Amino acid sequence: MSAAGTSHNQAAANAGPGGGLSGLIAKRPEFVTLVLLMAICIAVTIANPAFLQPSTLIDIGRASVVTGLFALGVFVILAAGGIDVSFTAIAALTMYSITLLVQKYAPDLSIVVVFAIAIAGGVFLGVVNGFLVYTLRVPSLIVTIGTQYFFRGGLLAFIGTTWIMELPGEMATFGRLSLLEFETANGAIVSLPVYFLILPVVAVLTWWIMRRTLMGRAIFSLGGNPEVTARLGYNVKIVHLFVFGYAGALAGLAGIVHITANRLANPFDLVGTEISVIAAVVLGGARITGGTGSVIGTMLGVLLVVVVDNVLVMVGIPSTWQRVFVGAFILLAAAFFVTRQRKFKPAK
Amino acid sequence: MKISTLLKSSAFAVAALSMVGVAAPASAQDGKAITTVVKISGIPWFDRMETGVNKFAEQNPEMDIRQVGPATADSAQQLQIVQDLVATGVDALAVVPMDPDILEGILGRAMDRGTIIVTHEADNQANTHADIEAFDNADYGAALNERLAQCMGGEGKWTTFVGSLGSRTHMQWVGAGEENAKKYPGMELVDPNNESFDDANGTYEKAKEILRKHPDIKGFQTSAGNDVLGVGRAIEEAGLAGKVCLVGTGLPNPSAAYLDSGAITAIGFWDPQKAGMAMNAVAKFMLEGKEITDGMDLGVEGYESVTVKPGAGKGLLIVGNGMVLADKDTYKDYLF
Repeated sequence: MSAAGTSHNQAAANAGPGGGLSGLIAKRPEFVTLVLLMAICIAVTIANPAFLQPSTLIDIGRASVVTGLFALGVFVILAAGGIDVSFTAIAALTMYSITLLVQKYAPDLSIVVVFAIAIAGGVFLGVVNGFLVYTLRVPSLIVTIGTQYFFRGGLLAFIGTTWIMELPGEMATFGRLSLLEFETANGAIVSLPVYFLILPVVAVLTWWIMRRTLMGRAIFSLGGNPEVTARLGYNVKIVHLFVFGYAGALAGLAGIVHITANRLANPFDLVGTEISVIAAVVLGGARITGGTGSVIGTMLGVLLVVVVDNVLVMVGIPSTWQRVFVGAFILLAAAFFVTRQRKFKPAK
Repeated sequence: MKISTLLKSSAFAVAALSMVGVAAPASAQDGKAITTVVKISGIPWFDRMETGVNKFAEQNPEMDIRQVGPATADSAQQLQIVQDLVATGVDALAVVPMDPDILEGILGRAMDRGTIIVTHEADNQANTHADIEAFDNADYGAALNERLAQCMGGEGKWTTFVGSLGSRTHMQWVGAGEENAKKYPGMELVDPNNESFDDANGTYEKAKEILRKHPDIKGFQTSAGNDVLGVGRAIEEAGLAGKVCLVGTGLPNPSAAYLDSGAITAIGFWDPQKAGMAMNAVAKFMLEGKEITDGMDLGVEGYESVTVKPGAGKGLLIVGNGMVLADKDTYKDYLF
């Protein structure tokens, strides 16, 4: 499954057309994502050469962080055969409550502690999801639709509805710390923020969990065949709590990144973006029915969605047509994946 | 937080209950009751409106004036509150409808019973005696653009943002802006009508992209309340504050930091405090049986000479001149 599987797949990739392109697509669906991504970049460059500049790369990198963190959480849940639509509400609830608490009681709190509290809060809410899914034996879609309403409703009804414009202490400065900075010809400053680093770190961690630990095996196994998983002696309850807790943790993290980057805490933010996150994970080759997917595919899927979102003006698509364009693109790409996967089921 | 919300809702309960008790003796003294119903209570916009309602109450101590609203932005809850108020027999209602269609029925029944109905931000409401709008949308869009043109020196590339292409008022504002910009042949509109969905982060990404595509862009005219924050952040981060002009609808408190840094040139809005007072003033005139005429002075700043037209139903459409354009030097007069 792990190292051996990867090298085998790599061999298939090297085999090229002779080894069967369709076999390659079935085994390494993220290959398609990569090709799509490159095709789009080339097409955009032809339409507008201004696309090729370092600031584009930096803007896309920055825009990928929150979507990427959400997507990694969704990937883990999808791999286990579940789905989650409540993660944006978890992010909104934790980020807003923590900002309020920090503002009131500990304005000088270190950003590291803020992140730790956000992750803990996210884990707690995620575990609530996992517990409900496991004990109620209800499809996770229904449970998480319910908790999304519940978490968001609770936030707006009991915690607050006003924007917090002045973030306290380190929360305000962290978003502006930059990793590298340069000036373009017209005197504009382009900077890559420090928070960008969070995404690769979490991606590597997720890869390690999924490919190098027993928990990772249990997650893929549960997504592939839940009954066999239970018979194999895996604790299905723990796996449920883990995947939803992990997604919750990443949501908590993403929420804080979102507000420090945005410089304001708006309780109405984030909820509503979950569909494009799920689309990114599916475009990265994970099957919505579970048991498959990879971190690299998920990251490519995120890049694909972010790039498509960030080139529409560049290409000159009028704003009346932009949503039509994005919708058609997702539909085509997803249809392509689904038909490929149906025809060429990977050998288990 | 929890406690303050509880307090707020219990305060509302008390207000609603006292309405029953107060309404009868008040009318005996010939002091009438006007209740303002807002879309949602506890957000800065309607807190600001409440200061206007309270001011009107101070000016008219013989009357029973108050403001209520649902705790969440929910048209069903607002409907419930209006129903309760009509049942208690309030003399006049000043409503800011969440969804005008949902309130048509109850407002119609209230009018049949002789209750005076005044609305705001609902120029399509059929069942109302008068709908009050702070300004004419075309005038507002042109004024925003004029301020932008002034900052841009009448030349350079500029673009527009709307909340969504389906938002009628936003499209009217940018449409009037485009019309106004025709006065300046040097102004070139590029990639217009970007949709922001009122999301500061999405607007920020889009503004970054526009700055990349048009490095020589000189101006942004925005519409939804959060747009100035997203575009302002993109301008400020790029170190272009003061070099690129940004004029759009926004609220003074949230925009303050960007106005100070020069990333936002000016914000436009109407003051809900004055709108609240104007609604109550019109309701009072109507309770006294006075007719509202074209050019009339409502006694409220920005509503000294209102335009009166036939409205969507049998009622009147009253348009004031209550637009406010605030910049670095003047926004402090309107902190909300």
